[in-house]
Amino acid sequence: MNNQSLSSLLALVPLLPLVGAVATVLLGRRLGRAAHIPAVAGIAAAAVVAVVLLGVTARDVGGTHGPVETISTLWQWATVEGAAADAPGADAAATRGLSIPVAVRLDPLTATLLTIITCVGLLVAIYSTGYMHGDPGYPRFFALVAMFVFSMSMLVMASNFLLVYVFWEAVGACSYLLIGFWFTKPEAAKAAKKAFLVNRVGDFGLAVATFLIWMSFGTLDFHDTLSAQGVIVPGVLGQTRLADPGGYVLPDAAGFSGAAVGTAICLLLLLAACGKSAQLPLHVWLPDAMEGPTPASALIHAATMVTAGIYLVARTAPLFVAHPGALTLVSIVGATTALVAALIGTVQNDLKRVLAYSTISQLGYMFASLGTGTLLGFTAAIFHLLTHACFKALLFLGAGSVMHSMGGVIDMRRFGGLRRVMPITAATFLVGAAALAGVAPFAGFFSKDEILAALHAKGWPDAHGTHADHDDATPTDGRAAAGRPLRFAALREPADDALALVTPRADGRERGVPLDAIDTPATWRLLFWMSLVTAGLTAFYTFRAVFMTFTGPTRLPEGAGHGHGHDDDAHADAHAHSDHGGGHGQHHGHGDHGHGSLESPPAMTLPLVVLAVASAGIGWLLFATNWLGHFLAATPSLTAAAVARTAVPHVFHWDLAIQGTLAAVVGIVVAAIGHLGRRSDGPQMERFLGPLGTLFAEKFYVDQLYAWCVVRPLELLAAVAAIFDRTVIDGTVDAVGGIPGAIGEVLRRSQSGLLQRYALAGVLGVLSIVVLLAWQLRG
Amino acid sequence: MNAASLPLLQNALTVGAILFSLGLVGILTRRNLIVMFLAAEMMLQGISVSLVAWSRYHGDFGGHVLVIFVLTVAACEAAVALVFVLQAFSRTGRLDAAAWQSLREATVGRTIDRELPAIDTVPPRFPTLTPAGVQPATDADDSLEREHV
Repeated sequence: MNNQSLSSLLALVPLLPLVGAVATVLLGRRLGRAAHIPAVAGIAAAAVVAVVLLGVTARDVGGTHGPVETISTLWQWATVEGAAADAPGADAAATRGLSIPVAVRLDPLTATLLTIITCVGLLVAIYSTGYMHGDPGYPRFFALVAMFVFSMSMLVMASNFLLVYVFWEAVGACSYLLIGFWFTKPEAAKAAKKAFLVNRVGDFGLAVATFLIWMSFGTLDFHDTLSAQGVIVPGVLGQTRLADPGGYVLPDAAGFSGAAVGTAICLLLLLAACGKSAQLPLHVWLPDAMEGPTPASALIHAATMVTAGIYLVARTAPLFVAHPGALTLVSIVGATTALVAALIGTVQNDLKRVLAYSTISQLGYMFASLGTGTLLGFTAAIFHLLTHACFKALLFLGAGSVMHSMGGVIDMRRFGGLRRVMPITAATFLVGAAALAGVAPFAGFFSKDEILAALHAKGWPDAHGTHADHDDATPTDGRAAAGRPLRFAALREPADDALALVTPRADGRERGVPLDAIDTPATWRLLFWMSLVTAGLTAFYTFRAVFMTFTGPTRLPEGAGHGHGHDDDAHADAHAHSDHGGGHGQHHGHGDHGHGSLESPPAMTLPLVVLAVASAGIGWLLFATNWLGHFLAATPSLTAAAVARTAVPHVFHWDLAIQGTLAAVVGIVVAAIGHLGRRSDGPQMERFLGPLGTLFAEKFYVDQLYAWCVVRPLELLAAVAAIFDRTVIDGTVDAVGGIPGAIGEVLRRSQSGLLQRYALAGVLGVLSIVVLLAWQLRG
Repeated sequence: MNAASLPLLQNALTVGAILFSLGLVGILTRRNLIVMFLAAEMMLQGISVSLVAWSRYHGDFGGHVLVIFVLTVAACEAAVALVFVLQAFSRTGRLDAAAWQSLREATVGRTIDRELPAIDTVPPRFPTLTPAGVQPATDADDSLEREHV
């Protein structure tokens, strides 16, 4: 395939969903019940193209040694000429021209994410045709989903920080609109607003990071570009800079050391990632975002959009690796978030909220993995991203299926034993739960194992350093030799010189910032143990949800099977539900629903089955062949010397696998003791844990903290401002407006209507002009 | 044309100024519409005299030409203005300028210096031809229609 057709294909991936979205907007009303056709067709076509592109990239990775990337500049968006170098007061930044090309890129990381986005998007869109059936906003939903797929594809394809920012905002807007899809519901409108505002904090970080990158690197492009003078401008993540060992050692500027500026950029990017990926302390929006339609939660708030932060950090990997303090902080934030969210997840009773906290927790895992700064860490994070997209989308869609059949009820205490009435949903949900809990051989087991291995390698460098002795290949030829079992080799670095590894001392001076001091093995050991505990907790809350929902006596809320009303509150009157004692084949009291008749329509169960198969098989498939790790290692960002040299041979860590599995088993057993076969409205975790349970149920009081520290003061300020506005500003405006009236009131008296008065006024006017002229001409 | 002497100019300007001032005073003090109109004409003529005098003094025709124009325009204006005066009179039966005060602000009261006597509403009077010479013999039917010309 030549470059031209590759570029066309590349442009097609975002274009097709965009066309689908626009067509849905224009024709939606006319199509009525068929309004999903343009969106589904557009996303399906994009998925096909994305898979083709994945294949093309994989072929390129197999055929070359170095990094693989294809840049296609669609058009030049904005060009600002630089000032002349001899202009007065011109410094380096002012003389530089700014040009923003709409450039899209294809590399292994992008190809992987595009495939995830379009394929999960397609399954979710198909599922939605069943789930959203009969909703008055049916066309709007599909237009938004297609628009989201477009924005998200562009986000991962963009080869420019400004474009990334644009589509970063675009996915945020789609998320806002989908959370607030049922905008007449006050909770949904509130949740949408909250998500939007919390994300704004992160977006601010990305904007400032973009400014700093522009000041420090002189360009916003990822790739190398050719200036008008024919000079190669090294892009921020271009191959020139990646090949340069000192490429990410920033020059000192304006009294700040280069390391400080670089660390600031990394921290701001981390802030952005925390906002979008719901990490501490900006995680508060994601649980509330569950007010949106469940398919949107599955697509946006579990599988794709929330992984934008992971993508951003992985994409800017060389920058982070050059600043170990910021990098370690990524892991600390991630592991802490993982633990905290898992603890909160253990006491949630809303099935979707359990999954929401689980998403936050798993994203924390990915961040913990990214923060290791090793090739294994980065690929493990993307691997986990991939498996998580499968099993979390599956779990969300399963929860949606339950909600659909339960008449919009999602509180786990109000139903139970659903495996008898929804066998397909129950079976697929169980697969997803096993994958999430990290039960071998489901997907989550392998990706979680890799993440634990990456953390373990940082905590106990000696234990893993021995791997290098088994392999004598260098990184480059290791990658080239396809078919070898061990593809990556570590350079033999002295274990105690970790700082030198990532921070080249080009000018012989000690570089770094105080934050770098947190990068110690002790930190990493702590993070490892935190992650291991999180693994156990994950297994516990996942299976608690499974047991509460699908086992025990079959109980259904009122209105089950009558479609979903999406108003929990309408049924809030109680727990007065029929309890049928769990007998099989019994006839239910309400309506003529027999057992099994509550299963969702095929449009909903088909995606569940597809995702269940993926969740079961993809982890083992990708781990055994190490295809993904090998593939991702050709991503330009990950070929930076500082990353590539951390490559380790691909092995299965029995010790970590056993620890991880033990944690999962303990979690599942505890969940089984507490909930297996019991009524789901029985004694709760929360009461069992006592004050600790209250702490978890109140989500560590973070929302309250924000309410007191941020929201209340701002509301107070707003109240004061409102008073100021109504009195001072409105008063001033009114006063100014009153002046003509007051003058008119005085002058009005002269309007007598008498002819002679007017004549006199005219005469006096002429006289005054004459006097004035005479005065002027006097000299 | 020969340039005239300064004394002639001064005399003529004095006459013009007197005419103008008389007119001005007349306009400001008299309330009879026709008298006011005459006063305005007088101001116009005062200006015309000055123009002619300057023209004579400078020895060119500019002022003369202007005055011809002024006379023409004044004639037209007289025709139009008298129609208004006539209409105004036929509506109210008054020629007093103070009778028309409706252009004043709504909040400002009517200015009354002296209560005007009420006027009985008179039927509109149309002008008739003045009898002159022998009355022509007319058809009885025709005369009914032609009584008011």
